[in-house]
Amino acid sequence: MSYSFTVNGLLRTTEEDKPLLRYLRDDLHLYSVKDGCSEGACGTCTIVVDGKAVKSCVLTTKKAVGKTILTVEGLSHDEQEAFVYAFGKVGAVQCGFCIPGMVMAGKALIDQNPNPSEADIKKAIRGNICRCTGYKKIIEGISLTAAILRGEEKIDPELEKGDVYGVGDRAFRTDVRGKVLGSGAYCDDIEMEGMVHASAVRSQYPRAKVLDIDASKALELPGVLAVLTAEDVPNNKVGHIQQDWDVFIAKGDITRCVGDAICLVVAENEKVLAQAKKLVKISYEQLEPVRSIQEAMAENAPKLHPNGNLCQQRHVTRGDAKTALANSKYVVTQSYKTPFTEHAFLEPECAVAFPYKDGVKVYTSDQGVYDTRKEISIMLGWEPDRIVVENKFVGGGFGGKEDVSVQHLAVLAALKVNKPVKVKFTRQESINFHPKRHYMEGTFTLGCDENGIFTGLDCEIYFDTGAYASLCGPVLERACTHSVGPYCYQNTDIRGFGYYTNNPPAGAFRGFGVCQSEFALESNINLLAEKVGISPWEIRYRNAIEPGKVLPNGQIADCSTALKETLLAVKDVYEANMDHAGIACAMKNAGVGVGLPDKGRCKLVVRDGMVELYAAASDIGQGCATVFLQVLSQTTGLPRLLLRNMGANSEVAPDSGTTSGSRQTLITGEAVRMAAVDLKKDMDEVNGDLSKLEGKEYFAEFFDPTDKLGSDKPNPKSHVAYGFATHVVILDDEGQVKEVYAAHDSGKVVNPTSIQGQIEGGVLMGLGYALTEDFPLKDCVPQAKYGTLGLMRSNQIPDIHAIYVEKDELLPFAYGAKGIGEIATIPTAPAVQGAYYAKDHILRTSLPMEKTYYKK
Amino acid sequence: MAPTQNNRIAMVYCAGGSRAKRRGEADLSYLDCSMAKQAFADGVLECAQGCLGLGSCVEACRLDAIHIGVHGAAVVDREACVGCGLCVEACPQGLIRLVDADTTIVPRCSNQDAGPVARNACDVSCITCRMCERNCPAAAITMVDNHAVIDPERCISCGMCAVKCPRGVIVDADGVFTVADFA
Repeated sequence: MSYSFTVNGLLRTTEEDKPLLRYLRDDLHLYSVKDGCSEGACGTCTIVVDGKAVKSCVLTTKKAVGKTILTVEGLSHDEQEAFVYAFGKVGAVQCGFCIPGMVMAGKALIDQNPNPSEADIKKAIRGNICRCTGYKKIIEGISLTAAILRGEEKIDPELEKGDVYGVGDRAFRTDVRGKVLGSGAYCDDIEMEGMVHASAVRSQYPRAKVLDIDASKALELPGVLAVLTAEDVPNNKVGHIQQDWDVFIAKGDITRCVGDAICLVVAENEKVLAQAKKLVKISYEQLEPVRSIQEAMAENAPKLHPNGNLCQQRHVTRGDAKTALANSKYVVTQSYKTPFTEHAFLEPECAVAFPYKDGVKVYTSDQGVYDTRKEISIMLGWEPDRIVVENKFVGGGFGGKEDVSVQHLAVLAALKVNKPVKVKFTRQESINFHPKRHYMEGTFTLGCDENGIFTGLDCEIYFDTGAYASLCGPVLERACTHSVGPYCYQNTDIRGFGYYTNNPPAGAFRGFGVCQSEFALESNINLLAEKVGISPWEIRYRNAIEPGKVLPNGQIADCSTALKETLLAVKDVYEANMDHAGIACAMKNAGVGVGLPDKGRCKLVVRDGMVELYAAASDIGQGCATVFLQVLSQTTGLPRLLLRNMGANSEVAPDSGTTSGSRQTLITGEAVRMAAVDLKKDMDEVNGDLSKLEGKEYFAEFFDPTDKLGSDKPNPKSHVAYGFATHVVILDDEGQVKEVYAAHDSGKVVNPTSIQGQIEGGVLMGLGYALTEDFPLKDCVPQAKYGTLGLMRSNQIPDIHAIYVEKDELLPFAYGAKGIGEIATIPTAPAVQGAYYAKDHILRTSLPMEKTYYKK
Repeated sequence: MAPTQNNRIAMVYCAGGSRAKRRGEADLSYLDCSMAKQAFADGVLECAQGCLGLGSCVEACRLDAIHIGVHGAAVVDREACVGCGLCVEACPQGLIRLVDADTTIVPRCSNQDAGPVARNACDVSCITCRMCERNCPAAAITMVDNHAVIDPERCISCGMCAVKCPRGVIVDADGVFTVADFA
């Protein structure tokens, strides 16, 4: 049998009946068609078939016979240019992995309806998930594309060219074209000469003793190159901070979660690989899993790690909370629960490794190439610089790509078979493997005086960190240090505990522990306001931190602090809707802080009359690669066309730390500015003639020291900067979220379009956390598929108003910019809680909230 | 501007017709559906829920938007239907429902018998094999009264169920994932 159909105008014939997605990618190399789930759930593989937007993973070559198929590559030049310009102008592109699918869904709509309304567009893309943007700018992008194609709007080529590219300009992101057209590569788009594939066989049980691993049948299969087990790993441990994570569970050892790898099969192609994995026979002795914090704490609980089940603990204290609370006029004590949450980034983990020079090189999708290098070097027992790590486009991270997942496996396989090896996760593997947002149980006691002025906080926070530590320590610490909120009071006693269980691991996730603890605190504040008899807005304003005042951790708020300004920005809209609106504030550190050597580095090289920017700072979609060029352009006055960001590559770019802690804009941004100042000085001496500086290099390192947690200084400085925010959530009569006003203080705004996208996307993620997202487990086994995680779709979004307040007093770093990455996700959930409480007076203390429009 | 309101159209939840086994040889063409149902107390078809194909709905429709298709079961003309609901009332089998006009992926069976009985009764019956339920990425499909039911709130029209259905019960009105066999 052969199957024929037309793809982008050419008649194609294949003998094989397989998913059309696989045919388009593997046979025709049409890489705009992304593989986000292969389950029909995510929409990244959307193409147009006979005029309809269709998920190509659902359709098969057999069922496609006679049909006319179109991918982004097959759009007319005018259409391609319209989409690139429109999506770039409105800021529709962040990580970009959903974008070609959105483009094709938009294309099918526009062909049918050249002037679609907002509602039409929302409906047309409701099968396409975006985790970054909150959909708003994608909807605007499709609308603008339609207007351009109707001839009502024009493409302004100057915008992408970027002569105006300074700090504060609506700069056109550097990655728009490659992401919209699918011409830029994510790891899965890499093909190399002789490349083979590897995939792990993972544990069937969350906790079981591995009695035997029999790979003999798999090894007999033609095309199978190797099967690696723990014996093949020089040091069988990885881990972002604590190396407690077995690369493979060895024979005789006990598994800790269903994501655990037992062995790695390497095969010539993916078809053989899938067959071979089924032939590996593993025998287990099933053991009772540890399902919860309570089970992990039990006296007779099995020890999941050598030092027991308590992974991390923190005790953050200042003043005398006990006495302060005892003497308080009003006190509220309440317990809260928040769920595990899945990052659900659109690009599943993928890496390609190959022998390189005297070591190995690996193309990755991660949040720090030097982190990945470190973990691999520990595993191999090698000097780090024999390992080169380079980011391709990163299709979203949100914290979930800080730990190694596939990179180290690709390296092991590449060294074993001496060939390039690709390792990529299926969507379910991704869901089962990478660390989630920590499940939390916490009890918070907050007191205030008769005027509502906070007196003290006592709280106890329990985290389920699952099978491995990942970033449990720092995440728990941020949960504790930020449980106080952005207010001014001095008595705190905060105890945090992170326990190992046999659940999937938990680690970094946008908000980094603060989403959990500020949900609890902000909910308590509403209860106190009620007792005092003042409004939720008023109690926050009375306590709000301001420049010169002292935060509960002792740090003196710097001149840029603008929490009150964010409160004032939403005052009217809150007060006009008070009986069905909620309000919450948040603060979030920018920079890792707490005494750690958190450094930003940048090297500028003048080459071929252009300036090359080297900083190994992963752009995971948030847009730091563009931010750095804007800082460089602002400082030197050079236009975009003369600047090149060379990306995150550990061989050529200096270590600029992890994309974590909302730090890249400020920390690495300042390093870029410093290097650019030196370049500018030299430019001035040669009248701006770059050719006279050919070959010159400018290196800068930025480090603003902070004090460690528990420092005995009277006013320790925990973090270089804090961002602040106030969100107001307004419900409609049915209890549906109608509007969100999100006011943010992020210092100087580098790119107004990008910051709006960060806020809108962060708010929608926060709404999902509050209302629809869950991660159910049954005896430690994840029950969710990508399509049932509860991710909000385009037709569910409220009107999100992204507001940024900029004040004149700024920090002296990176033109006064502070981070925005995480904070937008933090105050939304408690604001939603407050809105429902205002409406029906039911206190919802666990997430996702029950008895709402979204969850009956 | 295309309509943005949730327009409704009628949908017939049976595609059996001549593909369903009949219980007798009698000529029913002089009867309408209700009369036939009354006249044959034991049922006209092996399937108690199937479309009788005698055109009560066709009679009721004022826009000529429903007719008896080549397989002998009622078929709605999606372009002509305005969702007035007259056919819904006219169908004594309760097989016609009003749905969102954008609904494309539809399980066209209402048989309430267990798998083997359903299989025997009709060539295009749902046999409750749950293949669609297992492959639905959105958990939108459940088995109700022994046949697949799609929750429109959850369905994202991806077509996975239509592709996987071994009986051709779940049909794509756009004709991309399946032949648009609404006849």
